[in-house]
Amino acid sequence: MLAALAAEVGDFVRPPIDWHAAAPELTLLAFGVLLTLMDIVWLERGRKWAPALASIGLLATMVPIITLAVDGADRSMFGGAFVVDKYALIMKAVFILAGYIVVLISSNYISEGDYWENEYYGLLLSSILGMILMASARDLITIFIALELLSIPAYMLATWRKRDLKSNEAGLKYYLMGVFASAILLYGMSLLYGASGTTLLVDLNESISASDSPSAIVVMGIIFVIVGFAFKVSAVPFHTWAPDTYEGAPTPVTAFLSVASKAAGFVALMNMLFVGFIGRDDVYEPMIFALAAVSMTVGNLIALRQTNIVRMLAYSGVAQAGYMLAPLAVASDVPDSALAATVSYLVIYAVMNLGAFAVVIAVARKTRSAEIDDYRGLFHYAPGLTVAMTIFLFALAGIPPLGGWWAKFRIMGAVIEANTVSGVVLGVFVAVNSVIALYYYARIGAKMWADEAPDGDLTPVRVPASLKSALVLTVAATIVFGVLPGLVGDVTKVSLLAGVGG
Amino acid sequence: MIGLLAAASADMDLYVAQNIFFGIIAAQMIYAAFRVVTTANVVHAALWLVLVLSGVAVQFILLGAEFVAITQVLVYIGAVVVLFLFGVMLTRASMGADESVASEKRSMATVVGVLLFTVMAVSLIDSFEDTRLVIDEPQSTTLVSDSIFSQYIVPFEAVSVLLLAALIGAIVVARRD
Amino acid sequence: MSDYLRSYLTVGIFGLVGVALVGVFLGLGRILRPDHPNLAKNEAYESGVEPTGDMWSQANIRYYVFALLFVMFDVEAVFIFPWAARLEAYEVFGLIEMAIFIFILLLGLIYAWRKGVLKWV
Repeated sequence: MLAALAAEVGDFVRPPIDWHAAAPELTLLAFGVLLTLMDIVWLERGRKWAPALASIGLLATMVPIITLAVDGADRSMFGGAFVVDKYALIMKAVFILAGYIVVLISSNYISEGDYWENEYYGLLLSSILGMILMASARDLITIFIALELLSIPAYMLATWRKRDLKSNEAGLKYYLMGVFASAILLYGMSLLYGASGTTLLVDLNESISASDSPSAIVVMGIIFVIVGFAFKVSAVPFHTWAPDTYEGAPTPVTAFLSVASKAAGFVALMNMLFVGFIGRDDVYEPMIFALAAVSMTVGNLIALRQTNIVRMLAYSGVAQAGYMLAPLAVASDVPDSALAATVSYLVIYAVMNLGAFAVVIAVARKTRSAEIDDYRGLFHYAPGLTVAMTIFLFALAGIPPLGGWWAKFRIMGAVIEANTVSGVVLGVFVAVNSVIALYYYARIGAKMWADEAPDGDLTPVRVPASLKSALVLTVAATIVFGVLPGLVGDVTKVSLLAGVGG
Repeated sequence: MIGLLAAASADMDLYVAQNIFFGIIAAQMIYAAFRVVTTANVVHAALWLVLVLSGVAVQFILLGAEFVAITQVLVYIGAVVVLFLFGVMLTRASMGADESVASEKRSMATVVGVLLFTVMAVSLIDSFEDTRLVIDEPQSTTLVSDSIFSQYIVPFEAVSVLLLAALIGAIVVARRD
Repeated sequence: MSDYLRSYLTVGIFGLVGVALVGVFLGLGRILRPDHPNLAKNEAYESGVEPTGDMWSQANIRYYVFALLFVMFDVEAVFIFPWAARLEAYEVFGLIEMAIFIFILLLGLIYAWRKGVLKWV
């Protein structure tokens, strides 16, 4: 009966594997395994080495990324399912460095609480592994597996404060919304596979853009895929999980989710749009346009009313996702500058948002709260943190000469360059929203500088060394990116269309 | 010539037979799927789900995809339903009938379900119309295997990391201390 | 394709016969047996200790880990199966890839054992 199982087919050809191209993933995998082995052998005695091993692993992963960048050649494996080009390398570097900063801001938070430390770093590394895999994935199955690999550890990490009901709520909401989104995404992918008969994005694009008008099933497939990723990047109306999850999760995990996880969602979305759907701009552009416009506006308006700084950063993150989506809505008109704009925004956003969360963690070490009112008079007892926070908030608002202005400038540049109605409308949306956003960022600034400290308690905040180095790194990067915008500009001059041929 | 005609009519017979079996199993699946969402008893719902999933497995066999059918039985009926029942056993809620679960927001769910069904049905019919897929040979497992070990080798290895991370995370979250 | 489907038809008929047999014997039993129910007969343990309390009790979360391990190795089996069907064609390459796959999954089992979550008591 199972004759078919044993039937002979043609000879098997071993796929050629470019080990250099896969080296970043393999290095990180090796360190993840090493971390797990250490946990297995030493159990709790390995605790104090876990953060160090994780950071060494992340920094070691930078080595092959740098050698690949120096080499400069685009590499492609498995018929184009796994691609290493400049864009992939930049995003890998962003994920690794963001992960490194998350390790820096986690080490004291996690070791001082009653947390499972070895497992924490193990899951963090596996999530980052999923992200760097995502940067190279140009194939539906690889993208889906990478997405699950980066999400599933994140669900667990969100609920890491097991005894805290809020953290349980955070993990549960994130998990339920996340798997729901994954299911929709996978259904969309299966429809696209059914319509095109291929999982390779390049071939998918060729197949679905062959006819003048898209077939209904392709439209449904594209909609489902975009909805799936819209959950991941927390774009309105799929953002509802974000504030509760961000508030309840351990703050370093929140930083990780709001930066690395969101960036990974964008990378996946960009891979799909620029390689897989680029010929079907009549389907995805109106949808991205609506998502971008609504996300900016709703995110900013709700952020105005927040009294908790983490929730405020969550809604501000929703708005920032709207800004980053804006160039993608004109992806077919000005593909190269749209991609470059979103990539540079991701790079700069990663730095400034991680910095803001580092300050939140530092302040919470003393106040044990994240209420905005507890930031009153911060300048009087923690001037360094106040200056850093002000820099991050103004950078997020987009005020020159800090990093954020250049990011917003690129976004504006791309949507205006498109010279279409939707591009100009989005430009107006970005401009108006930047003004709204300035209000709530500045409000915190005013509270920190001008108000008196509550209860006149002026004991300084003790900032541990690792947190301090994370702050120094992010402050420096925020300023450098703002003063020398050419730096990001040169690096992010990327193109995803080389593989498609036009 | 006559031989060719005979072969064609034999193909046609097979095609008709496949469609009849498809219809029978589809009807059984639809009935079972309705019971999954309408029964007030969670354990019954899980058992009806087994019936739906085995229907899917049989459909795969009809399409000549043996490996997928076996995977369906092994992973879905074997593992997923086991997890499902474990989940039910672990909760504090009673295992018996629970009206509140079934009745809340039923009308809303019905509207969404019917709407989605209509949209999907229309777009699937519109896209494929009367395309006839000819399956000459059952798909062999070696084909699946070859694609795993060539084109999809990276996601294949990533799956092991995914499973490991999920297991370790779940152990940490689920253990008592 | 037709040979293939015919062979599964055998499976289907076999399954139907199995269901029918159960039905026939239960039906026969119902027709032939005397039927005089009373309260004592319907108890869970006739002439035993009377059961008290609810039939429902919450299972210990500890057992969840076993279900998880089962799922994990179930999925592993699904991947090993096609590999085994083509074992010889892949030679050393397939062996190494599968060894990595199994090694990583095995880490999970060793982890669970070392952390003491496999203890039954």
